[in-house]
Amino acid sequence: MLKIIGGILLGVGLTVLVAWKSIGGMMFSEQLSPYSVEETTARIQQNIQAAGNGWSISGLRNPAKPVEQEGGNVLPVLLIEACSTNYSGPILKEDSVRFLSLLMPCKIAVYKKNDGKVYIGILNAGLIGRLFGPLVGDIMEKVVVDQQKFLVMDPTKPAPPLIVPKMGGEGGSGAGAAAGC
Amino acid sequence: MNGKKALLAAGLLGAMLSWGVAWGNSPAPAAVPTATLPVAAVANPATPATAAKINHSTADHSKFKELQKTFVSGPEVTKVCLSCHTEAAKQVQHTKHWTWEYTDPKSGQKLGKKNIINNYCTTTISNEKDCMACHAGYGWKDANFDFKAEENVDCLICHDSTATYRKLPGDAGHPVYQRKEFPHGSGKFVEAVDLAKVAQSVAMPNRSNCGSCHFYGAGGDGTKHGDLDSALKNPGKYLDVHMDAKGLNFTCSTCHVTAGHQVAGSRYEMAAALKGPAHVRGKADAAPASCQSCHGDKAHKENVLHAERLNTHSNKLACQTCHIPEFARDSVGTETVWDWSTATKMGPDGKPLFTKDSAGRRSFDSKKGNFSWDSYLIPEYRWFNGHFSYIAKGDKIDPSKLVEINHAEGTPGDPDSRIWPLKIHRGKQAYDSENNMLLVVHTAGEDDTALWRNYDWQKAIETGMKTAGLPYSGKYGFVSTEMSWPITHMVAPKTDALGCAQCHADKGRLAGVTGVYLPGRDRNRLLDMIGWAVVLLSLLGVLIHGGLRVYLNYKRKG
Repeated sequence: MLKIIGGILLGVGLTVLVAWKSIGGMMFSEQLSPYSVEETTARIQQNIQAAGNGWSISGLRNPAKPVEQEGGNVLPVLLIEACSTNYSGPILKEDSVRFLSLLMPCKIAVYKKNDGKVYIGILNAGLIGRLFGPLVGDIMEKVVVDQQKFLVMDPTKPAPPLIVPKMGGEGGSGAGAAAGC
Repeated sequence: MNGKKALLAAGLLGAMLSWGVAWGNSPAPAAVPTATLPVAAVANPATPATAAKINHSTADHSKFKELQKTFVSGPEVTKVCLSCHTEAAKQVQHTKHWTWEYTDPKSGQKLGKKNIINNYCTTTISNEKDCMACHAGYGWKDANFDFKAEENVDCLICHDSTATYRKLPGDAGHPVYQRKEFPHGSGKFVEAVDLAKVAQSVAMPNRSNCGSCHFYGAGGDGTKHGDLDSALKNPGKYLDVHMDAKGLNFTCSTCHVTAGHQVAGSRYEMAAALKGPAHVRGKADAAPASCQSCHGDKAHKENVLHAERLNTHSNKLACQTCHIPEFARDSVGTETVWDWSTATKMGPDGKPLFTKDSAGRRSFDSKKGNFSWDSYLIPEYRWFNGHFSYIAKGDKIDPSKLVEINHAEGTPGDPDSRIWPLKIHRGKQAYDSENNMLLVVHTAGEDDTALWRNYDWQKAIETGMKTAGLPYSGKYGFVSTEMSWPITHMVAPKTDALGCAQCHADKGRLAGVTGVYLPGRDRNRLLDMIGWAVVLLSLLGVLIHGGLRVYLNYKRKG
């Protein structure tokens, strides 16, 4: 009996360990871009604007800038902020999940690494959605579908110009208000 | 036994301390303290804030009667300058800023802008009226330019402190005498230069003076070098620790020390592996515009053991390799590709097309072809001994291979070679497919044969080659080319220098550099086997020793 309980506990422990080790990688995903940081960003922005479903660009941040202002160097990184009131509205109306406003607007990171290549980093909205019940889960599934469209790069299309939205303040996402979120 | 151990430990400690002290007192000097540098070397005399506080000059040119008049041309100003500065023009005429020519002592080749075909706008030959916007002279529009006429020297391009002195393509090096639309058809206008005002406020060159050409080489901001662009006019510490406008605030001439108008530190006369201690700047030196001239060749000093390890790296690496981890570290970026083969292609409406990339930099121009740009570029690394070999006009090429317009010479094991960071600019250029040589193309001009006017390669090549005095078979094609630029500006703060793992790794920065054993990247099977054997034997020893002690303990207790 002791052996059975011990075996179960060991199995549970191992499962927790594996989950703990892999949860970080499951929450986020990363893919290569064939374009420069600016062009990748601009193409994603263009896709967001063309996606419909209430999507709009609510901001573009450069987290490297404050580091540079302090005299340090980091490789370029741009943070695209996009929002759809179709999806944000129902979540914001429901008290039990209003805290998920922390994740709004949706963010897509475009950055260069030390190998000189450009990467796109996104949050795994589907997984996160499933953690918070059917309302959020259903919405996030739709977000995932749209998110995939954002990342489709059509090389036959010329490089669009980077959209630099007017931001609402140094630290906040005030521009979201103007953009509908 | 304990006494012996203590003695041994004390001895080891003593040896380490004395070695450290000895190392610390070795002739290898630390960086020259800022306070010992001449004031002019630290402060930028031309920055408005400094200039307003103290005027270091002993002459106020606005008080000179000779300059209180209306000037109608640049040469007129120069004549007045020379009435006091009698030797200045002669000095300038011995510099590359004037001759645009350099004779390679190794190959005897005539190089310099006057002779080579570069990977950007290609050549000045037959295009002088445009190119000479960056010549320190007036009136060079063709091969008949008088290089001895002293009044043709342009003093103001380097000594203007008003930032109003402008020279535009098409004027053969003359400044803007009349209000002019530039670029043509843009609706933007450049005001006529007030020559008297500029002449009355001359000063020592500041970053804007040098930058007016060197930041904008190849026709645009940041285009050519990659480590020089307009962001260096007022840079932050992150971009250049020496030029940091709120910090050391070096001007270009702080390093590029100038004597008799000869500016030190030319790409044509580089030394890639300087040795010895730091020395006072401005003294006679083969290469005062080097890291070593201020920092010495043992610049690291923080932690004795670590510093010594880093200092020995300078036997193989240029300082720039670690301390300029990326170049074009700003939104200006730099051009990485110029493909001339697509030039003359028109837009869907049959009219010339001009497009920009996502960051607003040129990506296609019917006059010039396709461009690629990028920012924060990881350099490419090569062995380099300070000498570039060139393909100059008229030299034969092998069109079946990539044509290196210049090649960074250097080999592993050569005491004069170091691993250097380079910007490699790639492109496609027109070449004579019968005679196998790069072509001189007449691009700029108002005549019927200029490529940028009539979009006719054949006419433009015929005129260019005729002007250059070179044969042309009548058949042309395009060949892949590349040109290398040593990276030496945009030095990052030391906290941003490359870390060990960025090179000492399988796919690290130096993955493509051969001829050096790089731990972490390279493997020696025998060495690895010995290492693993030592590890395993040590482990075995520990286990046996521990096991025996446990066994004997149990046995003793019964």
